[in-house]
Amino acid sequence: MPLVKNKVGDDCTLGKDEALADGEALVESLIKVVACYRHLASCVGGCTDSLQLRDELRQTREKAQKLSVSICQHLTLHLRDKSLPEEQRKEMELLWVAFSSSLELFHVDMCKVFRMSAIFSLDGESKLVQNGFQGGGSEVAARALSLPDLNQAESQVPAAGLEIQEQGIMEQEICRIDRMIEDMEKKVNVLRWMVEPHGPQYPDPVSSPDSASLALLSVDEEQPGNQSPCTRRQVLVLFLLFAVVLLATALSASIVFFS
Amino acid sequence: MTIRNTVRDHGQRYRPRMACLKKAERMLLEMQDPKTGVRSQPQRLVITTIPHAITGEDIVSWIAETFQIDASEAKNIGTMLVALGYIYPVQDHKRLVIKSDASLYRFQTPYFWPTQQWPVEDTDYAIYLAKRNIRKKGILELHEQEQYNRLHKWMNHKWDFIVMQAKEQYRAAKERKKPDRVVFDCQERAYWVVHRPPPGTVSAMDCGLDRRIDPNAEEPRTPDFYERIMIFTQQSIMRPRVKSSVSIAALVKYCATYNSHDPFLSKCLPSNPWLTDDVTYWNLTKPNVEIPTKMRVERWTFSFGELLSDPRGRDDFRLFLKKEFSGENLAFWEVCEDLKWGTAATMSEKAEQIYKTFLARGAPRWINIDGKTMEITVSGLRHPHRYVLDAAQTHIYMLMKKDSYGRYLKSPVFKDTLKKAIFPEEHKFTDAQLEHNSKNRRPSLSPVVLRQQEQEQRAKMAANAPVDITQLCRFTTPVPHLAVYSGITDPPSANTSPTLPFLTHSPACPSPISVALDSTSASERRVEPSEGGEGNLQAPASVCANVTKSRMPLSLRRLLKRGCSPANMFASLSPKYHSAAGSSSRIQPICPDQAGQAPPRRIGK
Repeated sequence: MPLVKNKVGDDCTLGKDEALADGEALVESLIKVVACYRHLASCVGGCTDSLQLRDELRQTREKAQKLSVSICQHLTLHLRDKSLPEEQRKEMELLWVAFSSSLELFHVDMCKVFRMSAIFSLDGESKLVQNGFQGGGSEVAARALSLPDLNQAESQVPAAGLEIQEQGIMEQEICRIDRMIEDMEKKVNVLRWMVEPHGPQYPDPVSSPDSASLALLSVDEEQPGNQSPCTRRQVLVLFLLFAVVLLATALSASIVFFS
Repeated sequence: MTIRNTVRDHGQRYRPRMACLKKAERMLLEMQDPKTGVRSQPQRLVITTIPHAITGEDIVSWIAETFQIDASEAKNIGTMLVALGYIYPVQDHKRLVIKSDASLYRFQTPYFWPTQQWPVEDTDYAIYLAKRNIRKKGILELHEQEQYNRLHKWMNHKWDFIVMQAKEQYRAAKERKKPDRVVFDCQERAYWVVHRPPPGTVSAMDCGLDRRIDPNAEEPRTPDFYERIMIFTQQSIMRPRVKSSVSIAALVKYCATYNSHDPFLSKCLPSNPWLTDDVTYWNLTKPNVEIPTKMRVERWTFSFGELLSDPRGRDDFRLFLKKEFSGENLAFWEVCEDLKWGTAATMSEKAEQIYKTFLARGAPRWINIDGKTMEITVSGLRHPHRYVLDAAQTHIYMLMKKDSYGRYLKSPVFKDTLKKAIFPEEHKFTDAQLEHNSKNRRPSLSPVVLRQQEQEQRAKMAANAPVDITQLCRFTTPVPHLAVYSGITDPPSANTSPTLPFLTHSPACPSPISVALDSTSASERRVEPSEGGEGNLQAPASVCANVTKSRMPLSLRRLLKRGCSPANMFASLSPKYHSAAGSSSRIQPICPDQAGQAPPRRIGK
C-alpha cells in the first residue's frame, strides 16, 4: 500500500514512525485475513462444506479477532495522543478508516456464516447445495493463518460436538465486534470527509494477466451461435497468446538443447 | 460505522419483506436431493471439468413434475428462480431467464443468496469492480464504469481500503484450485448481475423503497401494540357495511369500464414511454393539450368527476357552460377548490372575494343555491375556514352533474371535440430503434417550470374580463383585481358604469364579511345617502337603466317594511331573477311589464 513514510525527524518521530509502520502492517494483515474469511465463507452450505471447513473458519475468525483487538488498542492509543504531528495523524486516520471498514465487512461475513451454519448443519439431515466447488478452502485458510504449509491446518480434525459450541461462541463474538465498533466511534472522532486516500482510482494489475483463467471465463461467456465481432476478437487474442507461449517454449527448448 | 450513501439513506435501511425468497430457498433445497432432485452433470471446459451443471430443460421438467403444473408455468417459476439469483446461467450470464433446452445452469452458493437481512453494500460492489479491473484492465462495461466513478466519488475516504481488499481477495482466490476459482468468479458475477442489473433490464429484486423498521424482526408486544389492535378492530366494527354482491358488482363495473384504459392491462397507445423511451404518449396527454386523444375524451363520458378532474375536460366543459351562460357554477366550484387547497394565509381574503363575486346579493356571478345552504354559508363566512363553502360547493356540484353534464354530453361542443380527437397509431420499434431511443433520453420539463407556466396561464385568464356574460349589463363591470377563474369572455360593453350600485345596499344589510373586517376598495362603494336617493345615481339614458334602477329602491323600500330576510332579498335582487333564458350576449332590456311582475311575484311568495 503506497502510504507515505515520513523518514525525516528526530527520535520522537522515529518512534511514531514505528508505530505507524506497525499499524500499517497490522491493518494489512487484517485485510488479508478478512479477504480469506470471505472466500471460506463462500463455501459454507455448499457440497464441500465439512467439519474441517468450519474449523478453518473458526481459526481464521479467531486470528482476525486477535488482530482487530490489537489494532483497536494501537490506533486508539495513538489517535487520542494530542501531541501527534499532522501528517502522522492523517496517516493514522487513513488506517483507522481502513480498519473500521474491514471490521464492518468481517462483521457482515460473520453474521452470514452464523446464519448459514444454523441452516446447513452438518449432521447429515440438511441437504447441501451443489454449487460446483470441488476443493475446500484449505489453501485459503493456510494463507490466512500465514502457515507455511497446509499440513498444520489439516492435522486437527475436530469433533462433531464442537459445532454447537461454535455456534454459541460465534454469537458472542459477533456481539463483541458490534460493541467494539460502537466503542471505537465513541472514543475517537475521525472526520471521514477529511480523509484523503493516496492510492490510484484504478488498482494496477497485480501480476501478469492470468491468461488461463481468462481463457476459461471467456469460454464460459461464449454465447453459442452468436458470432459477434467481440468473441472473434477474444478468440484472436487467445490465439496470439498461445502463439507467444509456444514461441517462448520453443526458444527456451532450443537454448537448452543448443547450450 | 462508516458514512453510508446518504443520498438513499433517510434512516430507511431495511429491505421490504419479500415472501418469495423463503419459498424459493425451500424449493432450491428440494432440488438438491441426489435421488429426487434435479439431475446434474459435469461441465467440460477447455482445461478442466466443473461438476454440478444442470440443464434448463431438467429444471423445468423437475418443477413441472414436483408441483404438478404445466410446462409454461414451470418455465415461469424457473425464470423467477434465475431472476432472484438462486440459479445462474453459465453461458449468457446477463440474461436472467431459463431456457428449456440444453443450456447450462448452476446453483448459487448460499453465501450469495438474496436473503433478507443483509442489504447489498456498495462497498462490496466497489471491491468487486476493482477486482475485475485487476484481472484485466478495461474490462468494465460502460454502466459499471459509471458506477465505479460514482462510488469513487462517494466513498473516496475508503478507497485505499477498497483497492487493498480487492488485491487481497484476488490473491486469496489464486490460492484456490483453478476450477474452483472459475466457479467462484462466475458466482460472484452472477450475484452482481442480479443486484446491480445493467440499465434497461428489469430486476426481480426491485422491491420498492427501503423500510424504516426491520421486517424480519419480531414486533415487541408492548401495551401500545395491543392498543393499536384494539383501535383497529373497533373502527372495523363501526365501519359502514355494504352487501358483497353490491360492492362486487361495483368493482366489476369499474374494472369493465376502465379495462381498456389501463396501460398495464391493455396497450398504451402509441407506446409506453417507460418501455420504449419514446415520449409521444406524454406529449399527447399533457394536461392542457390542444387536441386530446380519443381515449381521454371517452373517459370524460364515464362520470362527471372524471370530466372535472381532467384539466382539458374542464376546459371543454367551461367552454360549453360559457355558451350556456352558466359558467358561474364551474367558476364557483373551482374557487371553492382553491380555497380548500390553498394556503391558510390567503384564506380570509379569498373568502371575502368569493362572497363578493358569487354569493352577495346582486353579485356579478351570482350562483343559484337554495336558501338554507346560502344561510349556512353566509353565516359561516363570518369566520372563514377551509371547508366553509363545502355545502354550497356540493350543491353546485350536484347541480352541474345532474343538469349541465347531461346536456354537455349531447352538446355540439363535446361532439366537436370528440370528432377532432386523435387516435394515435401504435409504434412498432425495432431493437435498433429502441437502443437509439434509450440513448437519446432527455429529461422532461422540471415541475417547477410547469407550475410557473400554469400560474401564468391562470393569471392571464383571470386578468381577462372575468365577469360572466349573463350578468353583463350597464351596471356590472369587470373587476380585474378579483382573481376569479373563468373562460375568455367578451370585452365589456362600452357603456358600463364603473360603479356597482347593488352594493350600495350595504348600509341596510351589510355583508357579513365587511362587518367582520373592513376592506374593499373605495371604487366599489357608492354610498347611498338615503333610501330614496335614486337621483344621486348617475342615470345613463336608457329605459333599461331607469327600470333597473327604479326597481332597486322599490324593493328596498319593501324590504325595509318587511324586514331584512336574506333569502327573499337575494331572490328579489338577483338580476338572474329577471333575466331571460339567456341565449343572447346581452341581457334583454327589461320591459316595464316585467318590472311590474316583480312585486306580485314577491307577494305571491
